[in-house]
Amino acid sequence: SSGINAEYGGWMVTVDKWRLVAVCMLVVCPILKRGISGMACKQNWSFLGQRDAQNLDLDLFNEYQYSLDQLVELAGLAVATSVSKSYPSRGPILVVCGPGNNGADGLVAARHLVQFGYQPSIVYPKQPIKDPYPRLLHQARGMKIPVSTELPSDLSSYVCILDAVFGFSFTGSIRSPFDTIIPSLASSPVPVASIDVPSGWNVESGPGSGTPLHPDVLISLTAPKLCSKEFKGRLHWLGGRFVPPDIRNKYNLTLPDYPDTEQVVLLNN
Amino acid sequence: SSGINAEYGVSKSYPTRGPILVVCGPGNNGADGLVAARHLVQFGYQPSIVYPKQPIKDPYPRLLHQARGMKIPVSTELPSDLSSYVCILDAVFGFSFTGSIRSPFDTIIPSLASSPVPVASIDVPSGWNVESGPGSGTPLHPDVLISLTAPKLCSKEFKGRLHWLGGRFVPPDIRNKYNLTLPDYPDTEQVVLLNN
Repeated sequence: SSGINAEYGGWMVTVDKWRLVAVCMLVVCPILKRGISGMACKQNWSFLGQRDAQNLDLDLFNEYQYSLDQLVELAGLAVATSVSKSYPSRGPILVVCGPGNNGADGLVAARHLVQFGYQPSIVYPKQPIKDPYPRLLHQARGMKIPVSTELPSDLSSYVCILDAVFGFSFTGSIRSPFDTIIPSLASSPVPVASIDVPSGWNVESGPGSGTPLHPDVLISLTAPKLCSKEFKGRLHWLGGRFVPPDIRNKYNLTLPDYPDTEQVVLLNN
Repeated sequence: SSGINAEYGVSKSYPTRGPILVVCGPGNNGADGLVAARHLVQFGYQPSIVYPKQPIKDPYPRLLHQARGMKIPVSTELPSDLSSYVCILDAVFGFSFTGSIRSPFDTIIPSLASSPVPVASIDVPSGWNVESGPGSGTPLHPDVLISLTAPKLCSKEFKGRLHWLGGRFVPPDIRNKYNLTLPDYPDTEQVVLLNN
């Protein structure tokens, strides 16, 4: 086979042409992929288990003194950005919000989706009275986003459904009305994008028996959760570009680089 | 504070990653600077903060703590040598500024005005009258202005290189109430360029 003679550090090296092409592609491919679409080449990214996810969250609040408002705002912006990149056609989006922080992420994402040119509406069956949830809801209403406590019967006219029901704290059984809402999302005629954890999945082992939700898009926050290994949908985004370096070290997080000033990075093809 | 905004304008204006000096005043403009500094770390820069007057009222101490949590050095004094920075982020005074400039900003702002490196101002070039613009003396003439929510009247006098608008969160009713005609932000961008 034709060789290429190169002098490297005083050593003569004969490199098989095709091996050289392969090596160049391995080097150039990540650069091209990154530059073209903000995609990270497949690598062994870190996954967070449930306990670590909860502790990391607590560290952000306690040790680093972030407020829930701050983190939810950044998470919601990342979610809206991911949704926009996943479903470029502007149109109606149904945002289904659970009773906790995953729901709060949804309330914030809905606001940013208005800014991005979509027409979100919110389903919010269980509305906590503790700050900041009522304020976040009020902010969403201030953007003229309709809010209902019930899932519409006809889901077919939405560009997508944003699943903001349950996140990394989810354990145990699914209480009403989410026990009927989630199966409706699972059989939805339009794509579903889930925030951080497809609602109803075990945060570590993934979808259980029955008819679990299989979202089209997953938007992991901070770091992917263990269950995301079972994600078989189209696009897996990572958002939450606020991790302090010491937290990265503490939880041994190997995460892809975000491209320039982007708030999200694609983890898969 | 406006959260994620000023740092976008800075990053797009000065693509070369390097050290950035963030000079923070005692109010919300300073708070914007504290937050921008954190995000600049994420974007690959090496910010350091000058924060001479640090309010004790929430959320300022928490915002400062968050910046320290990102390993950003914090000082109360302006370094004497400003030449090694990619740029200086002016987060001293914003749209609430009136009256005279109190110490130490009365010496800090002239140092920024004669800075050997470009200055990017958040919302209002510090020391300018918020409506009429630069006064007499040697006012700051920043290279970059990052207006928040909507440009302030004084920005008509801005003669620098790049004028960004950030703060992509204005509710439609506020737009109507204040008769705001604003450019469209491109797709999911958090800032839009107002000039060439």
